[in-house]
Amino acid sequence: MGVTTNGIEEMWEELVRLCNEQFNTQPFKRLLQAKFSKERAQQYSIQMAYYVQNRRDCWGYVQGSAPLDVKRLIWEHEEDELVGRKSEGKVDHITLAVKEGEVLGLNAEAFERTERLEGGEVCFSAWIRLAQRPWLEAIAGSAILEMRNSGELIKGGSLSRRIGETFERDLGIPMKKQINNAEHVVMDVEHAHLLMRVARQYADSDAARQAILRGANESLMIDRVYRGHLADMLAVLP
Amino acid sequence: MNLVDDLLKTLDKMVNDQFDSVEFRNFFAVPLTMERGRFYVIQNALYTNNRRDCWGYVQGGAPLEVKRVIWQHESDELINDPRAGIDHYTLTVKQGEVIGLKPEDFARAEIPAMVRACFYAWHHIAMRNHWLTAYAASHMLERRNNGKIVQGGGMSFRVGKKFENELGINLKRMISLDVHVVADMDHSENISEIFERYVKSTEDRDFVLQGARESMAIDRAYRGALGYYMEQIK
Repeated sequence: MGVTTNGIEEMWEELVRLCNEQFNTQPFKRLLQAKFSKERAQQYSIQMAYYVQNRRDCWGYVQGSAPLDVKRLIWEHEEDELVGRKSEGKVDHITLAVKEGEVLGLNAEAFERTERLEGGEVCFSAWIRLAQRPWLEAIAGSAILEMRNSGELIKGGSLSRRIGETFERDLGIPMKKQINNAEHVVMDVEHAHLLMRVARQYADSDAARQAILRGANESLMIDRVYRGHLADMLAVLP
Repeated sequence: MNLVDDLLKTLDKMVNDQFDSVEFRNFFAVPLTMERGRFYVIQNALYTNNRRDCWGYVQGGAPLEVKRVIWQHESDELINDPRAGIDHYTLTVKQGEVIGLKPEDFARAEIPAMVRACFYAWHHIAMRNHWLTAYAASHMLERRNNGKIVQGGGMSFRVGKKFENELGINLKRMISLDVHVVADMDHSENISEIFERYVKSTEDRDFVLQGARESMAIDRAYRGALGYYMEQIK
């Protein structure tokens, strides 16, 4: 990630380590070891659309409290997510999630009428609370989830890739047909660098770097709880 | 009359009434000098930054469809307004050149105490309320700037005219004020459409009215504070 300055490189290494460590935790193991039936995949897919919506809530709050130049970075980031890169013919990520659902036999109404997972709701509130904290903690809390989904940073593949491979193995749906997973496999590699771009400019003190680590750690903790709830949900489905 | 028509009429009356308030009257009564004009332009840039904070928070709390509308709105503000060819903060800084301000003057500007309190109050509404309340609070500041709604012209138009009449600087040279005369007509109309879609009950209406009332109260306090600080510049 470039030249070591003021402990930023060490902080980055720690963030990457924390993201990799997620995959060794019980909730992640339980989720990734689950065998996906069609029904399980459908419910997972719907809940992930809610997760994507919660990300939009959080990035909005982070944009609100960040300095002006960082607001611009987040605004650009949200183009992919909220409206899509129209110049490249790409749709927004919520539409993408709903379209991916078609491969699993879901229609748009299924997304609308299925309620949020109870445990998911609690985690979403926790992430929003984190997004409303001082801006360096808040941005780290959101950006770390994209680092955790970057195939460039995660040994053995990002979460989207691993889930995508499970769908391929268990349901015979090739990755290229999982348009949402496939998009995130690529997009989050790019998005994962946002935090480092910000840190290079603003993490100029130990307190600032600690704030980033604090936000990242807290978000990864919520992420583990969330994945645990997803694993519980899958376990009771046929 | 239906709920939304009635609501919009109430909002229109509220933004017109702002200009009859003691705080607005005092603000407009302070004669401009070049030094006071510089103070105002710098403060206006800080106000623009506060708007960006608040719209971000509003975006965070709003439903997905509304988030998209706000994201588009923020394109003009943060990235590039096609009317000006630049974003609104840069536009304000560029406007400062006309009255002898440099970018450093904006970078090192302090937020005066009473203004700071207003900024925090706007943050509070944007972050800690029902999304319709938060949304209305930010929207009202653009509605108050819409010359199609405010008789005698919106805030940017009136301030621009004040620069023209008292300092001899043509409104067209006050590029940020000039762009906002038009931009906030578009913004407040686009944003206003959301009420048509989301205000379905008296409870929804009350959320909007709460945000509108509170934001207009802060706006009066803010303009009163600016008037006070400008008067201190001899």
